[in-house]
Amino acid sequence: MRSFGRPVRAARGAEAPDADAPAVQLQGLTKRFGPVLACADVSMTVLRGRIHGLLGQNGAGKTTLMRMLAGLVRPDAGRILVAGRPVTVTDPATATALGIAMVHQHFSLVGRLRVWENVALGGRGRLDSRWTRREIGRVADGYGLLVDPDRRVDELTTSERQRVELVKCLIRAPQVLILDEPTSTLTPPEARHLLSVLRRVVSDESRAVVLISHDLDELAHAADEVTVMRDGAVLARRSAAEVDVGELGRLMVGDQLPAAVAAPAGEPREQVRLRIRDAWATQARRPVLRGLDLRVRAGEIVGVAGVEGSGQGALADLLSSLLPLDRGNVEVDGNPVPPGRPGAMQRAGVGVVPEDRHVSGCVLDMSVAENLAMTDLGPVSRWGFVSRGRLRQRAEATIREFAIGGASPDTPLRLLSGGNQQRVVLARELGAAASVLVVAQPTRGLDAAAVEHVFARIGGLAAQGVAVLLISSDLADIRRLAHRIVVLHRGAVVGELTQATADPQRLGLLLGGRPE
Amino acid sequence: MTGLELVLASALRLSVPLLFAALGEWIAERAGALNVSLEGMMLAAAFGGYVGAVATGSSALGLLCAAATGLSVALAQSGMSYRLTVDANVVGLTLNVLVLGLTSYLPAPTEPVDVPHLTVPGLSALPVVGGALFDQPWPAYLLLGLAPALWWVGYRTRWGLELRACGDGPRAADASGVDVPRRRRQAVLVCGAFAGLGGGYLAVAEVGLFNPNMTAGRGYLVLAAVIFGGWTLRGTLAGCLLFGAADAMRLALPALGYQFNPQLLLATPYLLALLTMTVLARRGHGPAALGVPFRRGLT
Repeated sequence: MRSFGRPVRAARGAEAPDADAPAVQLQGLTKRFGPVLACADVSMTVLRGRIHGLLGQNGAGKTTLMRMLAGLVRPDAGRILVAGRPVTVTDPATATALGIAMVHQHFSLVGRLRVWENVALGGRGRLDSRWTRREIGRVADGYGLLVDPDRRVDELTTSERQRVELVKCLIRAPQVLILDEPTSTLTPPEARHLLSVLRRVVSDESRAVVLISHDLDELAHAADEVTVMRDGAVLARRSAAEVDVGELGRLMVGDQLPAAVAAPAGEPREQVRLRIRDAWATQARRPVLRGLDLRVRAGEIVGVAGVEGSGQGALADLLSSLLPLDRGNVEVDGNPVPPGRPGAMQRAGVGVVPEDRHVSGCVLDMSVAENLAMTDLGPVSRWGFVSRGRLRQRAEATIREFAIGGASPDTPLRLLSGGNQQRVVLARELGAAASVLVVAQPTRGLDAAAVEHVFARIGGLAAQGVAVLLISSDLADIRRLAHRIVVLHRGAVVGELTQATADPQRLGLLLGGRPE
Repeated sequence: MTGLELVLASALRLSVPLLFAALGEWIAERAGALNVSLEGMMLAAAFGGYVGAVATGSSALGLLCAAATGLSVALAQSGMSYRLTVDANVVGLTLNVLVLGLTSYLPAPTEPVDVPHLTVPGLSALPVVGGALFDQPWPAYLLLGLAPALWWVGYRTRWGLELRACGDGPRAADASGVDVPRRRRQAVLVCGAFAGLGGGYLAVAEVGLFNPNMTAGRGYLVLAAVIFGGWTLRGTLAGCLLFGAADAMRLALPALGYQFNPQLLLATPYLLALLTMTVLARRGHGPAALGVPFRRGLT
């Protein structure tokens, strides 16, 4: 027996599947990862013959919710009904057997294997390459998805890979097909084609499709129903008829944007410190920047907003010399800097506070003083040797200034709380920026007092003429601090707002890729 | 016997234990499991195989005991590293030292065992290659069946496909419904059985006795052979033959009247292994997730 999955085995005592029941009902699903509540009591109904859009910002819990349905994450509480029957989805094989298939955003194909091998992976019975190839051909032709079963996945482009993933799911004839951000790496024609395939899947074959996205237009056009999630909870459900793009944007972002507390520090000067022109780049074969243009003047704080995959991360990588460009250039203080050459940006005067500073920014078993001096030993050295006295002196001053609680210069960093470890890295990096400072996720992991202090420091640096780029997924941070907010979408700038014009609806629309 | 014949014959003879073990290590590494304990598996199996052969008086049963002993070391390795997720390299090194100590301590019999040679009539009389290819202890010919069989399992069966997926993309394999730790455990067990055959062959068929630490790093040589072969089965086996030949030179050169420092000669196969790894390291053909622990739910 050859097949692409384990056959559905009827649970003993359970009633037969109900043809009229919704394809999937999620009831009160809750999932906690450590201190983070990813999904809080989420309920949702997915009907046959419909494309169900799932909208939300990063960290809203969309992907976690769907991964519970696909058997990749076990829920802490709540239940899942498939075709009216309560089920326990223990693993992906069970999900396949229940008729649930998911096209993941990352990592669902093995690059070294051929296309047909990838499609066969997860199936049952004898491995029959000829039969698998024939089945791939049948499904691919049926949906107009062009794939070559004998190519290695490594050699495929992003959109080819996605077609393979789609064929891999469709060949299993799922009752529920989940797609996680399927169009984020496609060109507009490719995306339109994908959506037309999905439309056929629901209308001709009356299956159910769940489309995870943060592209407002896409959902407004393609989805029959939209569920909006924020902070792990469902906020609203709208049918296609009542979908209002502006309202969706507002719901996604939230009404809770704080008023700009203080005017940003100082006035920007004329001199342009950082200039990025027409930057195009790819990372792991995915296009991450597509014609990004950006200018930051001396004394100016520019907030960079965007959803995941919009290019925020790539921009930080570019300015950390981690990302070479395919096209375009970067200038710091008017001098071109070769992108991707190790240390080039740093030498040109760009300081970066990385997003994962806790991991990549410090050595936990070294002392606070050593961690503070790590990147530049000049000021604490004498005749080429590190002077313990100067090391301690400088560390004591910084500990006082940044109010790093419970620390002496000799305390191993490991003994500090997470927030205080962050302060150590921030203190070091904020001190190092000469012309351009890039801060990624500045408030992540900090308490309110620390946030105030960090903001004051950033403002102070800007007042001294440093150009600041504030990359954050927390819109409140950006709104409070930035003179100007640029919104990224698909690797380019879609729009620009000032502190005064940034309201939830406008921001939401731009984040969802709708320029005004 | 001419000098060339002598070298060829002993090259092949010395390669056979490596070839058995390499089959196992190849399949384990394709699944993403790096087995440093290969050395321990081989040494334990040499002991177990020899004791079994003496006790039963049968070389076939002796080899079976060897495979079982290799399997038991593999059970410890796979359980520790793919059930309890202890670092596989640390487990492997610990097992190697443990096996070395145990096999040196446990009393082994001292009567030599003998395995009949399988001599192909006619062909064994061929000049130069005849003795090397067609006059070997009979278990050596098992390789002729086992190697193609293992290739077929690795590339033509669902189990093999799932193994390779676990080595190259464990997250993708998991998302597709493959039980990654389980496949890796299975691969390590298969490796244990093959390494056991290799160790058993060394003691029972090649030497006929057990000496403490008689594998003398052959397990590590096999690890190098897999790298040399760029993780292909053909290349891995070729690597074993090359290292076997280097070992043969060590024995043959003095016999042929060349004078070399014996300690230096002892190091040649390892030196060669190091050199080839240096040259080939850049090719980077290894399974993407080789030696990387896998845990569900971490992305």
